[in-house]
Amino acid sequence: MTSWLDQKKHYRAYRARVDALPEPYRIAVDALERYVSVLGPGKSDPLQQVFDDLTELFEQAAADGTPVRAVVGEDPVEFAEEFLRNYPAGAWIGKEREKLAQAITRAER
Amino acid sequence: MSKQMTEMLKGTLEGIVLAILRQRPAYGYEITGWLRDQGFEDIAEGTVYALLVRIENRGLVDVARVPSEKGPPRKVYTLNAQGRQALDEFWRSWGFLTARLDRLHDANGERA
Repeated sequence: MTSWLDQKKHYRAYRARVDALPEPYRIAVDALERYVSVLGPGKSDPLQQVFDDLTELFEQAAADGTPVRAVVGEDPVEFAEEFLRNYPAGAWIGKEREKLAQAITRAER
Repeated sequence: MSKQMTEMLKGTLEGIVLAILRQRPAYGYEITGWLRDQGFEDIAEGTVYALLVRIENRGLVDVARVPSEKGPPRKVYTLNAQGRQALDEFWRSWGFLTARLDRLHDANGERA
């Protein structure tokens, strides 16, 4: 667990990376950041990891000249959901999924 | 690429990527390029990247960061022992599935 101050520094550094991206990629990362903030991990460390990984993906795409559409595919929502599934730690939706599974196990007994 | 093809590919993509990495270490962009060359044109680069993040978190690959001329350092993925085990398991599942489906296809009398 990093301190609040370190988290803030980390977030600022991340935002600087995003702001340095060419416009289409920046718009994409901003939109994904918003979506992921709502549906992703509830704790800031795992959430920051998602942000960082997304940024790296788009930095790479910008360097390779891969169009935004080729990065996120036909369905951006599906892409975001698929992406988030890689980060079970701390995701509130992950907790809810676990609760559902446990409830069904209890119901079986 | 049809919707059906996309759905089927989704279920097998992890195995495909492990099999590609069994040939030689690669980075995400190369893997997506290979898939596109094979006719999977609709595969999103981000989907492959997400999958690589997942297999990295599950310890199936070793990752090296290699500096690149443009952009951030590239992550080069190498299949490790655990990854090879996962691939073996994928091929077993694949063999089971295709054997059963071929049998069904034969029973329908539509296969030579």
